[in-house]
Amino acid sequence: MNKLKRLTETKYFMTVLWIVIIIALWEIFAFIVAATKRTPENILPHLTGIMESVMSDRTINGGQTAIQMVMENAAATLSRAGIGYVVGIVCGFVLALLMSLWKPIEKIAFPYLMLIQMIPILGMAPIINALTGDIAVSRVAIAAILTFYPVATNTLAGFKAVQREKHELMYSYAANKFQIYTKTMIPACIPYFFTGLKISAPMAITASILVDTLQGGIGLGCLLSQALKGAMTRYVFWQIVFFSAIIGILSFSVMGLLEYILCPYKRTSKKEKE
Amino acid sequence: MTKRKLNFDSATSLLYPLIFGIVILMMWQCGVLHSIFRTDEYILPYPTRIFRIIIENFDKILENVNSSVFVIIIGLAAGSVLGYIAAIGATVSPKFGKGGLTVISAFNAIPIVAMAPVIMNWTKDVSSDAEVRSTVAKIIVVTLMCMASMSINAHRGLNELKPFSLDLMKSYAADNKTVFLKLRFPNSIPYIFTALKVSVPGSVITALVSEYFAEYRAGVGRQIRENILIAQYSTAWAYIVVACLIGIILFALLLAAEGIFLKRRKS
Repeated sequence: MNKLKRLTETKYFMTVLWIVIIIALWEIFAFIVAATKRTPENILPHLTGIMESVMSDRTINGGQTAIQMVMENAAATLSRAGIGYVVGIVCGFVLALLMSLWKPIEKIAFPYLMLIQMIPILGMAPIINALTGDIAVSRVAIAAILTFYPVATNTLAGFKAVQREKHELMYSYAANKFQIYTKTMIPACIPYFFTGLKISAPMAITASILVDTLQGGIGLGCLLSQALKGAMTRYVFWQIVFFSAIIGILSFSVMGLLEYILCPYKRTSKKEKE
Repeated sequence: MTKRKLNFDSATSLLYPLIFGIVILMMWQCGVLHSIFRTDEYILPYPTRIFRIIIENFDKILENVNSSVFVIIIGLAAGSVLGYIAAIGATVSPKFGKGGLTVISAFNAIPIVAMAPVIMNWTKDVSSDAEVRSTVAKIIVVTLMCMASMSINAHRGLNELKPFSLDLMKSYAADNKTVFLKLRFPNSIPYIFTALKVSVPGSVITALVSEYFAEYRAGVGRQIRENILIAQYSTAWAYIVVACLIGIILFALLLAAEGIFLKRRKS
């Protein structure tokens, strides 16, 4: 009994409880749907059914099982999202650096960085596809644009948040600009930089999947629209939905973990607070 | 002297971006952008042509804008209210509620492309009219998207109070309702605006993307896509410009509202 009580007090217990509640709700509705609808797997299949389709070794086309197909397409989509993500990070960081180094650049670019946040880039996906002419390039480009501005604005905020005393200290050491940046500014902006990374990781993946749906070929988005049209078993669709949800959440937490590893100084300050 | 310097400073911060924007527009109009992107004026039409198309098709564009803006506003309002209620719930029972907030924020990381078709499936029975059921589905997707940022920010606003203010309320023997109305709610207002700054652009994007998957063909996002499919690039560009304008106008309205509500606070 005591053990049970201690278990309920742990940090993750409530999250797990919520997940259990959601699964229970899903299953209840799945039973209702199964009883009333003609094609229940189109609307709300049992979670066990989805798991079964993941495990099954029945081939659905050209000698691939459902999960093999999803994984092959996912690898294509994720690698493109990854390239775009890295390109966006580099561009965003460099722009933030230039903006902090040279005031006129900040003045020119900052209003446009604000403006680009209000523009629905994903809505522009079809036109970027037409502009670049090559679907592979446009996938990378859109993922990069979506990654670019959260990284740039957050990193710039990080550069600006460096305390005045630190600048004065470096000045009294007669440090040059390069030293100031490598020793104080860049380490100080890393937590802000990671905030940008965390915001943009799920966005880059969404972008990559969405661009896939525009044109045929290989990729999670293509498979998703094919499965929606009924070209193959509906469970492929459900596998993609769950897979992309898990990947979206994972990408966010991987960035959090990376921050935890790379910023030990942030870790200790958190402990002190508690 | 310092005042003069300040004037120069604020003048350049307006002038530089303005000049930059005009240069880009000129390059676009004169075809320099076309040679950079290696395309023709068919795929990337001149700004004057896009503008003319907007004027010519004003009625049809307005119809689609109405459809999109309706989804955005209703979804944004519903999501923000639900998010705020969730935050209140998490404040009332911190233990159970915090886990719930974690789950809600996990929803935020689910790609819209995965969520939109699922919601479309679930709302098939809402109405026999394709327009109504598509609109309901789109509103639900936008609602889910807005809920996360509001619930997390509002929870912070309701709980990160000034030191000792809660003790003061207790010493006045204030009941929970009074604590909420006099202390927690006013404290959360700036946080509400922080949340809205994330969810206003987010809801525009979500609405446009969920239109792609909707049964009924309506909305600015859907029109961009349909026009590209039939190779009407200039019309698609007209809708893109309109979509950008929706995003910018909604954000400007939000900033104006923030200015009015937080005016007293600043002074």
